[in-house]
Amino acid sequence: MGSMWRNQGDGTAFAGMMRHRLNLLFLLPALAGCDALPRDASGATERIERSGEMRIAVLPGTPDAAPALALLHAYAAQHDARLAMVAVHGEHAPHWLEDGKVDAIVGHFAKASPWQAHISLSKPVARAEPKNSKQPVLRIARRNGENAFILATDRAVAETAE
Amino acid sequence: MSLHGGIPRAIAADVKRGERLEYWTLGWMVSVVLVMWLVMGSSQAMKAAVIEDLLSLVPAIVFLLSVHWERRRPNRRFPFGYRRANSLAFLVAATALLSVGGFLAYESVTTLIRQEHPTVGGITLFGHTIWLGWLMIAALAYSVVPPIILGHMKQPVAERICDKVLHTDALMQKADWQTGLAGIAGIIGIGLGWWWADATAALFISLSIVKDAIGALEKAVSELLDGTPRALDSNRLSDDAERLIAALKARFENADVRLRETGRYIAAEVDCAPPKDIPTANELMGDDLAWRLASLSFRPEPADAGP
Repeated sequence: MGSMWRNQGDGTAFAGMMRHRLNLLFLLPALAGCDALPRDASGATERIERSGEMRIAVLPGTPDAAPALALLHAYAAQHDARLAMVAVHGEHAPHWLEDGKVDAIVGHFAKASPWQAHISLSKPVARAEPKNSKQPVLRIARRNGENAFILATDRAVAETAE
Repeated sequence: MSLHGGIPRAIAADVKRGERLEYWTLGWMVSVVLVMWLVMGSSQAMKAAVIEDLLSLVPAIVFLLSVHWERRRPNRRFPFGYRRANSLAFLVAATALLSVGGFLAYESVTTLIRQEHPTVGGITLFGHTIWLGWLMIAALAYSVVPPIILGHMKQPVAERICDKVLHTDALMQKADWQTGLAGIAGIIGIGLGWWWADATAALFISLSIVKDAIGALEKAVSELLDGTPRALDSNRLSDDAERLIAALKARFENADVRLRETGRYIAAEVDCAPPKDIPTANELMGDDLAWRLASLSFRPEPADAGP
């Protein structure tokens, strides 16, 4: 994109630039209007719809998982799917999430979790963010890049906070 | 203005205008960095854009510093004044530009190799959770506007005052708005589920930035090594330097002529004995660029004068 503009003459480059900007200006409302964004990079939602099941792992020692499971159940129901519980423990769980073997993990994670760059952690479910960023609380971990699923669960988690 | 210090009257107004543009740049770019920082969330691409915007302040800062030093008068410790501060600032600005390009290229390549899927989730504002991507796009659109306008305004000033630092800063502004547009394309790409879009767009932009930066570095190094003055936009000899060499050769029987550049000023050395009539800067450079010829020296004895 940049190199293309560079190779043109000054006037042409500016005209080309303005054309691209106008294209973007027209494109943005169109995308916003049809509510098309965001989509999942690896198609998690489509797979859930196709298979009729959403694979969830609840980390051992999560006695308060119910509210998180309830909102995941609601999401699955919207897509005519059911929750399928997957037994996994220890560090296998986030690795399985990274590899797409599970769709979400329910468990206690700190805001400053060492996993935060590798998986997408939601805000705390049914409670406020603790002041101590190292305190683990109930969250839903999603696979990075599955932005439609992430936004949908973020919305549901925000409603539980209200 | 003294022989080796101060700004010539012919360009004083334009230098002032360049300074005003740089103060505006600092103000606008700080506001851009703040807006980007507020919406960057955990996005690596946005973090890279913020770091890139911070680095882009360097040419503006070193331009202001170099003009400040250029105005200082020579003294016993620095009898040739501080005009070479501009050459040094040029090297710093070119290095900053290379850092921006290099950093962007590194971020893009590692993202593509690791196949990192960027996550852009929701943000809750006033009770509504919206996709953070929309805010990022708005912030990036804002980040594009000041560099386009300021870069466009700086370019002609840089040409009039023959200032390579200001020219490099205009290149940096081009890097800023190109990165901003690439960022918008990248966020839309992420929204469409194309995880590679952001990094690929940034990689193309970074190659263009690195190419500009290497060109600027070549000129900065040649200036510090007393090379013949180079053009603002390429590593070829500048037109006024070529004309000056031709004029001096014609006037002094094809004697060797050497030119070097200290900041925006040219020093000429003719390899012949001092003539009775020394030409004026206006005769050699023309009225518009007479200010650029700071000194003209001759050898006490011609090179071939032997015992």
